[in-house]
Amino acid sequence: MEDDDECPPLAVELPPETPSGPSSDSPVGVTVITGYLGAGKSTLVNYILSAQHGKRIAVILNEFGEEIGVERAMINEGQGGTLVEDWVELANGCVCCTVKHSLVQALEQLVQRKERIDHILLETTGLADPAPIVSILWLDDQLESSIRLDSIITVIDAKNFRLQIDEHKNSSSFPEAFHQIAFADVVILNKIDLVEDNLEDLERQIHGVNALVTVVRSVRCQVDLNKVFDQQAYGSKNSSQLQELLEYSKSVPPNLRHDNSISTLCICEQDPVSLAKVESWLEDLLWEKKSDMDIYRCKGILHVHNSDQIHTLQAVREVYEVLPAREWSKTESRTNKIVVIGHNLDINILQDSFSHCKH
Amino acid sequence: MHDASFGGGTSNIITVSVMMLSYATIIYSTQDCFKAAWASHKSVHTKLDALTAQQSPEGWQYCLRKGRTRTSQLPRFDWTGPLRPYAISKMRVVPDEIEKPDWALDGIPKIEPDSDLQKRVEIKTPEQIERMRETCRVAREVLDAAARVIKPGITTDEIDRVVHEETIARGGYPSPLNYHFFPKSCCTSVNEVICHGIPDARKLEDGDIVNVDVTVYYKGVHGDLNETYFVGNVDEASKQLVRCTYECLDKAIAIVKPGVRFREVGEIINRHASMSGLSVVKSYCGHGIGELFHCAPNIPHYSRNKAVGIMKPGQTFTIEPMINTGVWHDRLWPDEWTAVTADGKRSAQFEHTLLVTETGVEVLTARLPSSPDVYPWLKP
Repeated sequence: MEDDDECPPLAVELPPETPSGPSSDSPVGVTVITGYLGAGKSTLVNYILSAQHGKRIAVILNEFGEEIGVERAMINEGQGGTLVEDWVELANGCVCCTVKHSLVQALEQLVQRKERIDHILLETTGLADPAPIVSILWLDDQLESSIRLDSIITVIDAKNFRLQIDEHKNSSSFPEAFHQIAFADVVILNKIDLVEDNLEDLERQIHGVNALVTVVRSVRCQVDLNKVFDQQAYGSKNSSQLQELLEYSKSVPPNLRHDNSISTLCICEQDPVSLAKVESWLEDLLWEKKSDMDIYRCKGILHVHNSDQIHTLQAVREVYEVLPAREWSKTESRTNKIVVIGHNLDINILQDSFSHCKH
Repeated sequence: MHDASFGGGTSNIITVSVMMLSYATIIYSTQDCFKAAWASHKSVHTKLDALTAQQSPEGWQYCLRKGRTRTSQLPRFDWTGPLRPYAISKMRVVPDEIEKPDWALDGIPKIEPDSDLQKRVEIKTPEQIERMRETCRVAREVLDAAARVIKPGITTDEIDRVVHEETIARGGYPSPLNYHFFPKSCCTSVNEVICHGIPDARKLEDGDIVNVDVTVYYKGVHGDLNETYFVGNVDEASKQLVRCTYECLDKAIAIVKPGVRFREVGEIINRHASMSGLSVVKSYCGHGIGELFHCAPNIPHYSRNKAVGIMKPGQTFTIEPMINTGVWHDRLWPDEWTAVTADGKRSAQFEHTLLVTETGVEVLTARLPSSPDVYPWLKP
C-alpha cells in the first residue's frame, strides 16, 4: 500500500492550460437529436463524427429500455481519427431526492473527466416525445452545471415527409413527423435529392407546424455544423432568437391543415402586461390544462409593466421560464409576442385570455 | 468511420469502464515544496485513517458501491474535511410478519421508478391521509427514541440499532433499509455530511452535530422526517447553523397552503439562509411521499428554480432544507451515498412530512409533547 511508503510520491507536472477552445467555465452544450430510423439520424451523427471540424464531440447513444444503467459514449478524437469508446455508468437510476437526473450526472462526469469536450450529442432512438428529456436537461442556472441543453434537432426524410403529408391530406390525423417538428429548434430536411420539386412547400408545411424552427436542407446530412452546434436555444443568452421573435410578423401563411392538427399560433398584445398575471395565465394553460388545447411549446417576448427589460418566455410542456433578457433599445417598439405550438389550438381563447394579463 | 457505434468491435477501440469516483489534485509549485508538505500532510491522514481501523469491530467492513459491496480497507478519496467513514455492521433483519416495500428483498424498487406518480402529484383520499397520520406519528416516535440516546461516545451504528428496533417494535419497516442497497435503517449525517450518511462504528464526539433521518413504512405508506442534534457542547457557529436551518424549514412550512407554487419554497429558504450568511444545498430536494417513498413533486430548496406545480389540498410531501456553513457544493464519498460539503465545513438539515389542507398545512411528523427537549430556542 502506498501509505506505507516513506518517500512522498512524485509530484506530477500539470499540463499547460489549453490555449484555444472554450474556457473551462462555460458549460458544454448538449444537442438532442430526434427523428425516426431511416430519416438519416445516424447519417447525421456519422457525418458530425467524421467531418474535419476540429471539435471534440461526444456522442451518447441513448437506448432507453436497454441495459439499464449503461450508456455508451463515443468520443471523436478529431484529427487523429481514432475513436475511443467509453462506457459511462449511470448512477443506477436512483430517484431518491436528487435534483439532477442520473443522465445529467453521467454527462457531467463525462465532461469533467475527459480533456476538453466541445459538445455532446444525445441521440435518441425513435423517441416520440422529447419533452421528458428536455425537462431533465433543461437545468436551473442556479445549479451551475457543466452541461446545458443547447437545442433539439430533428432529421426529416424529405421524400417520406412528402408521402406522409399526402397520405394524411384528407384524414383527421396528422403525420408523425409533425410531432417531432413541433418540439424541434432545428429541422434538417434530408434526402432533398430524392424529392424532385416543391421543397418550398415542404418548408411551408414545417413552418405551419412550428413557425420558429430553422430548416436546413441537406443531402446525406452534410450540413454546416454551425447550424447544428451552439444554438443556445434554452436560457436567456440567445440574442439572435430574441431578434427573430421581435421581427416575427403575424402574417403566417394560411393554415394548410385541419383544425385538429399540430400548428403554430401567435398572440400579440401592445399594452404592457403584469408578470404575475402572465405566469398565472401560463400555468392555467400548461399546468392546470384548463382547455382542450394541448400546448407543446411557447416562445415569446414580453413588454412588462414598469420594466425597461425585454422579458423572454420559454416553455416546453409544463416546464417554463420567464427571464429578463436585455433592455429595450430606444428604437424598438415595445410589444408582447408569444408563439404557441400545439394541438387543437384556438387563437380566440389564447388571445382573449392573454389580454387579461394587461396591467 | 468505424462501426463501433453500432456494436461491432474493432482493434482500435479501447473500452474503459468509468467508475463514479471523484479525485482531486493537490497543486504544489515544485517537487521540493511537495516533499516538505508531504510529511505533515501524510501524518494527518495516517492518524485519521488509523483511527477508523482501530474503532472497527471484528468482521465489520467499509461500504462501497451504494451498499452492493464491502471492502476491508479504507477507500482512497480526497476527503473534504476531518470525517472518515468507519466500518459498518451486518445488515439488520426485519421479522417476516412486517409488511415490507418491494425493495426489501433485492434492493431494487420496482413500482416506484415507473409509477405514474413520478409525473403527477397525487391527491390523497381521506383514508390514505389517515394512514399517513398514523405512520408519520410512528416515525416521529422512532426519531424521538433515537434522539434520546445521543451523547458523546455512542456510535452512529448504535443509533441505527435503536431506530431499527423501535421501528419493528411498532410493526413498521425502516424504509431506507436496502433501498437501492442502502445498508442501514436510517441515515446519520455528522458534521460536514450533508445527508445520506451511513451509520457506522464511529463514536460521536463532544462538539459534533449529527442529523438522524428516519423513514418508516407502515400500513402501506411512508412517513419521513429528520432532525439535527447537538452532541455534548457545540461551538457557537454550529448552534447558529442548526438554529438557522430549523428556522428555514419553519418559514417554508408557514407558506404551505393551496394555491402556492412549489417553487416558492426555495425562495423562502434561500432568503433566510442568505441573510445569515449560510448557503443552500442544491443537489437534493424535498419530494412527494405516500405509498411511494419518493415521487412527485420535486421541491428544490434553492431560489429561481423551475419546479412545476401548485399546492392543492390532499397532497403530501416533504420539505428538507440542507444548509451549509461554507459553500453549497457537495461531493459524494466512495460509498456512493454519503454527501459531504465540498469544503469540509459543517451542514445541518431538518425535515417534515406535510399535508396540504383546505386552508393551510398539517405537519404530520410534528413534535409531540413527549418529544425530547433538545432545542434551547423551543423552550416555552
